[in-house]
Amino acid sequence: MKKVSLMVLSVMFLGLMITPLAVAEKAEDNYKLYCFQCHGSKGSGGGINAAALSTAPRDHTSATEMKKLTDENIFTAIKEGGAAVSKSTFMPPWKSILTDDEIKDMVKYLHGLCKC
Amino acid sequence: MKSLKLLISLIVFALFLSVGIGNSIADEKKGKALVESKKCGSCHKMQGPPDKTIADVLKRKAPDLFYAGSKFKIEWLEGFLQKPTMIRPAGTVYVNNIKMGEKKDEIGDVKPCTSALSKDEAHEVAEYLMTMKEPTMKTGVIVDDKFSKAKAKVLFGQKEGCSGCHRDKADSGGTSCPTLYNAGERLNPDWVFDFLKNPQKYDPKIWMPRRELSDEDFMLLAKLIASMK
Ligand code: HEC
Ligand code: HEC
Ligand code: HEC
Repeated sequence: MKKVSLMVLSVMFLGLMITPLAVAEKAEDNYKLYCFQCHGSKGSGGGINAAALSTAPRDHTSATEMKKLTDENIFTAIKEGGAAVSKSTFMPPWKSILTDDEIKDMVKYLHGLCKC
Repeated sequence: MKSLKLLISLIVFALFLSVGIGNSIADEKKGKALVESKKCGSCHKMQGPPDKTIADVLKRKAPDLFYAGSKFKIEWLEGFLQKPTMIRPAGTVYVNNIKMGEKKDEIGDVKPCTSALSKDEAHEVAEYLMTMKEPTMKTGVIVDDKFSKAKAKVLFGQKEGCSGCHRDKADSGGTSCPTLYNAGERLNPDWVFDFLKNPQKYDPKIWMPRRELSDEDFMLLAKLIASMK
């Protein structure tokens, strides 16, 4: 009996140890909460903030637009913001919210949006 | 003789003070009871910790209040609790309130806070809310002195893109977040400084990313916001 509860306890402890501090979110959910506001719910640049931006948010559904960017380019733009890739500072840096792995997932997600 | 007079006036003063403190403690208690009976907690989180997942954020009905005593000015709270005004043009969680269009999204129906307290109740609830502090926030950081408004405006409107998400005038700026054109009346400047330095400390999943600026620039922004009245 004692042995069992000890085992249960150690399993629980291990569980606690391996639970990451922050849960990795799905790219789809990150895009919804963080990117819809400017890039729009369809990803085409029609977010509710778009009218307030001096540069239009990139149309993520446009293959012609998105094909101009390398994956590295997209990764840096998301992580460090527009200014880091000589684009508009209205594109914010997301590294305080998204982990590198989440940003990598996001790059893949964007390829899905532009089908390119 | 002189010292006796001094002693008496000291005692009188101390009595006065304790009555004052006693009153405000009584108000806080009534305020706490009101928050419970009016069920503010059915929409607002009155206790930390903040939401840690997007799924939880999407279920949020109203802004967190467990650090209200650090965030707000008491005078503003008293007015707001009697007659709430709209703060967030697209509601608490904008993404729940948009009509998704093929080309463009639009803001759907949003309603203000439902608090409708009397003058006395609002005072008591405000006293209670002011006891809910963020323990790590420094006070006395932002002092009311001259600053370069022009430089602060460049940070706000161009360099750091704050206006992309926030309205700094009634008719211009982004709509996914709180309007700031009257934030000087609403917010404690020390809290604004602390929040700007790390919004994720207050709300890990909030859709305002942290900018890496010097304390000096954060102070400029906090002072600019304090001047928005
Ligand atoms: C405050 C508004 C805003 C938000 C929020 C925003 N963006 Fe942007 N984004 C922009 C603007 C404006 C541009 C266009 C920059 C330019 O062309 O100069 C842009 C451009 C981009 C680009 C193209 C960069 C390049 O090199 O051309 C990518 C990729 C991108 N955004 C991804 C995202 C992702 C992913 C999110 C959510 C995590 C996001 N954006 C959130 C405003 C925003
Ligand atoms: C039915 C839900 C609901 C109830 C009940 C409610 N509120 Fe609110 N409250 C809201 C919403 C929604 C907002 C956001 C309004 C906005 O941003 O325009 C809000 C905003 C606020 C704010 C400003 C918060 C901020 O960060 O800007 C305060 C303070 C507040 N409420 C206090 C109270 C108090 C005190 C009570 C109880 C007497 C109460 N509310 C009851 C929905 C509610
Ligand atoms: C990508 C959008 C976005 C950008 C860009 C942005 N913010 Fe925010 N801001 C938010 C969100 C979201 C909140 C919190 C909303 C809430 O509490 O409901 C917020 C809250 C605030 C608040 C507190 C307001 C209140 O009443 O709760 C201040 C002050 C503020 N931001 C200032 C700034 C400044 C200064 C900048 C530029 C350095 C900036 N913001 C850039 C999205 C943004």
